[in-house]
Amino acid sequence: MRSPFVSECGEFCTSYRADMALYKIPRIRYRVYGVLFLFLMLPWFVSEYATSLATLCAIASIGAIGLNILTGFTGQISIGVGAFLGVGGYTSAVLTTTWGLSFWIALPLAGLVTALVGALFGIPSLRLKGLYLAMATLAAQVIILYTINHWDGLTGGTGGMILARPTLGGFSFDSEMSYYYLTLTILVGAFIFTSNLFRTRTGRAFIAVRDRDLAAEVMGINLFRYKVLAFAISSFFVGLAGALMGHYTMVISPEHFDIGVSIEYLAMILIGGLGSVVGSIFGAVFITLLPVVLRELIDIVTVYLPQATEHFGALRQMIFGAIVIVFLIYEPEGLAKMWRNFKDSCKLWPFSY
Amino acid sequence: MSLLEVDKVSLHFGGVLALSEVCFQVEKGEIFALIGPNGAGKTSMLNCISGLYAPSSGSIRFRGEELLGLPPHKRAAKGIARAFQNIELFKHMTVLENLMLGRHVRMRSGLLAGGLYWGKAAREEAEHREAVEEIIDFLEIQAIRHKPVGTLSYGLQKRVEVGRALALSPELLLLDEPMAGMNSEEKEDMARFIIDIHEERDVTIILIEHDMGVVMELSHHIAVLDFGRCIGFGTPDEIQSNPRVIEAYLGQAESEEVGSSA
Ligand SMILES: Nc1ncnc2c1ncn2[C@@H]1O[C@H](COP(=O)(O)OP(=O)(O)O)[C@@H](O)[C@H]1O
Ligand SMILES: [Mg+2]
Repeated sequence: MRSPFVSECGEFCTSYRADMALYKIPRIRYRVYGVLFLFLMLPWFVSEYATSLATLCAIASIGAIGLNILTGFTGQISIGVGAFLGVGGYTSAVLTTTWGLSFWIALPLAGLVTALVGALFGIPSLRLKGLYLAMATLAAQVIILYTINHWDGLTGGTGGMILARPTLGGFSFDSEMSYYYLTLTILVGAFIFTSNLFRTRTGRAFIAVRDRDLAAEVMGINLFRYKVLAFAISSFFVGLAGALMGHYTMVISPEHFDIGVSIEYLAMILIGGLGSVVGSIFGAVFITLLPVVLRELIDIVTVYLPQATEHFGALRQMIFGAIVIVFLIYEPEGLAKMWRNFKDSCKLWPFSY
Repeated sequence: MSLLEVDKVSLHFGGVLALSEVCFQVEKGEIFALIGPNGAGKTSMLNCISGLYAPSSGSIRFRGEELLGLPPHKRAAKGIARAFQNIELFKHMTVLENLMLGRHVRMRSGLLAGGLYWGKAAREEAEHREAVEEIIDFLEIQAIRHKPVGTLSYGLQKRVEVGRALALSPELLLLDEPMAGMNSEEKEDMARFIIDIHEERDVTIILIEHDMGVVMELSHHIAVLDFGRCIGFGTPDEIQSNPRVIEAYLGQAESEEVGSSA
């Protein structure tokens, strides 16, 4: 038997099908199963608090994958993610609480409604690029949040809405563990869907739109269609994340979806790696856990500097900004690239050149 | 009826007249050369054919149908492919992905089918992968198929770009200086590819090229542009004996000589 510590020096495929598989090398396939197994076992070995953090990470990952499809893969910047999360959250809230629909119907509908709203606000992307498109999506953020704030009859205005945890048959997803499994399942689905997408026709067209607009068009890609499509599928996942978040915290109000949230999601994909599915997850975990870790650190520091707690908010923002800047300067391809470098150096170890 | 009929096409950039009432016809199955000094309007002409520029007047018909007014992607779907003068490949994609992208208009599967990667979409990918592998063999780029295009040499990138255009299975192929900046060996390879594309794949080609030897040898008809005007149109022999073309080219050569001796 070959040594498990030796890695391949090349890939040999005997059919195009095999060469096109998502994970070509068996060792890597097993590693993927292994990681999945670890995630499945996680809640059995950690505290409820840690499980709840993992749930938040999973939800953020779904949203970050959505944003990365649009901004990282298709090159269309959006500062409207916060509001699109809100569209998802409020759609599900209205459908379940006001209309009495089941969560299992409301969740996909929340995704679809957000996709529709996203596509609508994506229409200007045909004419607008870069900073100008950013301004247009900022307008989307403002308009949507204004609507949520002022359409009291539907959304409860600034007071927000109450949501319930989903149930299935007699089972209710009340526990941390059960809700974790629910979000993990959807995250795995989103991950597989997106990975597949970018090895097929539509995904390639998205990347072509990002890399070279004009050449893409001359190769037969309808720019308008694919830009709007990217806004739609991206917003679909963001909408799912918004709905999942709403049913998890069981209360939503406009301040959960302000522009700060949009910026956090942009930071996730910047730090994780633009145009990387797995990077979206790295970034989401990083940004979700950052305040938690900072909180712990501050608690330690408070013993010596009692006033540190007062400045927690400001400190958090500063460190957040500093980390984003450091990544932009030193590793623009993000955690995904660092992870690749790490894997490559493992492959070559101990001959690291 | 000719495959492509360019009829009195004029193109303005502000006050600059880039093309002025240009007329020529490209017959089905020929290699057609578009020549002329730098800035004559050759690339602009191709841009009008692929739909990146909109002429201010005139008509361009492909298989008898008017192209003007159609967006570029619809012209690609009609079977017009293009390799650019300045390489316009998707740099972060591999060679294979670039070529698969070239097959975009020949494929059908949409977003849902692709994301779910169920039977039809997976089968389609494999089928078209085969077509692309054929082009990879043809262009002798097997060894680099999984390489990101940005890491390749200039000559190879030019070749991949021709491959991507070929992947569209075009009826009309527009090649804008495919041999520019190549060494003589690469040039020879490219000339051989162009002949093979024409003969084996039955593709009509419009070629922009500065090397007169190559142009005279490869092409069946030639149009000569000078300052946006078509000053000659005919077979290589006719062009070589056309007094206006000789004057334009000799005039240029003379002024260059004067310039260098001064
Ligand atoms: N996008 C553009 N904007 C302004 N002028 C242009 C543009 N494209 C081409 N031109 C002008 O049109 C003329 C013809 O250019 P071009 O078609 O590139 O020539 P060629 O390919 O024969 O060297 C040049 O004078 C050039 O400056
Ligand atoms: Mg040119």
